[in-house]
Amino acid sequence: MARFVLAVAIAIALVFPLVFSGAFYERVAALTLLYAIAASAWNLIGGYAGQVSVGHVVFFGCGAYGAAVAYSEWGLPPIAGLPLGVGAAVLLAALVGVPTLRLSGHYFTMATVALAELIRILVGNVPVLGAAVGLMGPAVPRSVWDLSFTSSLPYYYLFLAVLAGLLLFTWWMERSRMGFYLRAIKGSERAARSLGIPVGRYKLYALMLSAGFTAVAGALYLVMVGFVDPDSGVGILLSVKMLIMAALGGAGTLFGPLIGALILVPLEEISNSLLGGQGSGVTFVVYGGIILLIAVFQPGGILAMVAGWWRKS
Amino acid sequence: MLIEARGVTMRFGGFTAVDAVDLDVAEGRITGLIGPNGAGKSTFFNCLAGDYRPSAGSIRFAGREIAGLTPESHARLGMARTYQVPHTFTDMSVGDNVMVGAFLRHRRTADARRAADAVLERTGLAGQARHRASSLGTAGRKRLEIARALATEPKVLLLDEALAGLTATEIQAAITLVRDIHRSGITIVIVEHIMEVILSLADRVTVFHHGRIISQGTPGEVTGDPKVVEAYLGRSLERQRQRAAEASG
Ligand SMILES: Nc1ncnc2c1ncn2[C@@H]1O[C@H](COP(=O)(O)OP(=O)(O)OP(=O)(O)O)[C@@H](O)[C@H]1O
Ligand SMILES: [Mg+2]
Repeated sequence: MARFVLAVAIAIALVFPLVFSGAFYERVAALTLLYAIAASAWNLIGGYAGQVSVGHVVFFGCGAYGAAVAYSEWGLPPIAGLPLGVGAAVLLAALVGVPTLRLSGHYFTMATVALAELIRILVGNVPVLGAAVGLMGPAVPRSVWDLSFTSSLPYYYLFLAVLAGLLLFTWWMERSRMGFYLRAIKGSERAARSLGIPVGRYKLYALMLSAGFTAVAGALYLVMVGFVDPDSGVGILLSVKMLIMAALGGAGTLFGPLIGALILVPLEEISNSLLGGQGSGVTFVVYGGIILLIAVFQPGGILAMVAGWWRKS
Repeated sequence: MLIEARGVTMRFGGFTAVDAVDLDVAEGRITGLIGPNGAGKSTFFNCLAGDYRPSAGSIRFAGREIAGLTPESHARLGMARTYQVPHTFTDMSVGDNVMVGAFLRHRRTADARRAADAVLERTGLAGQARHRASSLGTAGRKRLEIARALATEPKVLLLDEALAGLTATEIQAAITLVRDIHRSGITIVIVEHIMEVILSLADRVTVFHHGRIISQGTPGEVTGDPKVVEAYLGRSLERQRQRAAEASG
C-alpha cells in the first residue's frame, strides 16, 4: 500500500508541470520543491534530533551568497559556487554548533535566532556580499552552465532530482545507527548518553549535514531567482518557514517537510498574487496561526494525524 | 573487586548528599543498597554511572579509574543503568528502544536488530516490540529500561528502584528477570525500598542514611543491626522479619 502511494506520488511529480502548464503553476511548483529541500534539510537536526533551530537561514544564505559570489567575483556560473557555499555552511555549523548545542531545548533555539540576526546585520555591511543592496546572478545566460532559463520547468526537474537525492539519503539515515541515535537524543539526552551515545558529537554531525543540504537549497535559489539580499538570503522569516513546513507535515518524518511545503508554498504564492504587495503581512499572520494550531492540537503534524486515523479505521 | 568506590562525596551547593562513601562490588554478585527517602542512594548511583562527577573520591571499575568520565564512556566500558523515573524513548517503538542499546556493540543495523531481538525475547517484551514505548505501563517501562540496558552487553547493571510501583505479580516477574540476568554472568547493583526484594535477591546489603553508610553485610546481618533498625526501619522491619521468619519456618 505504502509503495503504491509512493509510486503514484512520483508519477504525479513527474508529469504535474506538463499537465498544469503555465508560467504561474510552473513557478509555484518549482518553488514548492525548493522549499521542500530546505525544510527536509532542516528536518535532519530539527526533526530527527529535536534540536529546533530558527537560524537555518544562515546556512541557506551561505549557499545563495556562495553562488552569487562565484559570479560577481570570478565571473563563474553561479552553480560553481555550490561547493563554496556548502563548505562555508558546514564550517559555520561546526563553529557555531560546538557552543550552542550544549544548550538545552529553548536555549538552543534562542541562540540560533540571535546568531542569525547577528549574521544578517553583518552581511548587510560586507561590500563583497553586496552589503544592503545584495548581489545579482548573470542578467543574460552566457552558456547553459549559468542555468538561467525563462521557463521554471527546468528548475522544477532539477529541484525534483535534488529533493529525491536528499530524501533517499534521509531514508537511509533513518535506518542506520545515526537515525536511531538522533531519535534517542530527541527522546532523552540523558538516557541516550547512558546507552553509550556520544550525544554532543552526533548532534554536531546532524547540524553539519543539515547545514550542508540547506546551503544546497540556497545555491539553487540563487540559480533560479538570480538575486539575493540580506532579507531574502539571511532573513529570519525563511528560518521560520523551514520550521513550520516540517512541523506542519510532521517533524522527524521522511515526507513531513515535503507535505508541509506542498500545503504552504502554494497557499503563500496564491495569497501573494491575489493580495499583491500586502501579502507578506498576511503570510506572517497565517504562519503564526499555524504555529498555534500545531502546538495546541497536533504536535506530531499532519502525518501523525493520518497515521492515527489509519490505526483507528 | 569489579567496582571499588573510595571516599565518594557529592555536594550540591552547601548540602552533602553523599558523604565519603566506600563501597566494594564483587564480580558476579548482587549488591543491594537500601536506606530511607533522601538517603543519597540515587545520587551515589549517578556518581557510579557517570551522570554526576563526584565532588571528591575515586571510583575504580575493573581496575580503572572512572570518576569523572562521561556517561557514554561508562557505557562503553560495560556499565549500564536504569532510572528511578523511567527515561524511555516514548516516541520510538519498544523494539527500537532496545535497538538503541544494541547499536553500542553492533554498528550494522541488521546485527543490532538481531541482538535486540534476542534481548526482547529474553526480557519477555518480544510481543510488544512493535508497540510504541508510550503504550507501556509502569511495569513495562521499567522492564524496557532493563532490556535497553542489557542490549549494551554490560558487565554490571545498576538498577535504581526497578521494582518500585509494581504490583505483587509484576514484582515476582521482575525478580525472576533479575535472577535470570544475574545467572547469565552480569554483576548487579540494586537500589530497592521493598525489603522482601532485597532480602530475597541480594548477597550483600549496604545501608545508606544521611549520605553515609551506616551498615554493611549479608541481608541477615544488616537487618539485625540495631543501628539500621533504629535509623531507618524501626518497628516495621521487626514486623517484616517476623513475617519472613513465619513464611520460611
Ligand atoms: N540535583 C540535586 N540538587 C540538589 N539536591 C539534590 C539533588 N539530587 C538529590 N538531592 C538531594 O540529595 C539527597 C539525596 O537524594 P537521593 O535522590 O540521592 O536520595 P535517595 O536515597 O535516592 O532517595 P529515594 O529513596 O527517595 O529515591 C536528598 O536530600 C535530595 O533532596
Ligand atoms: Mg532514589
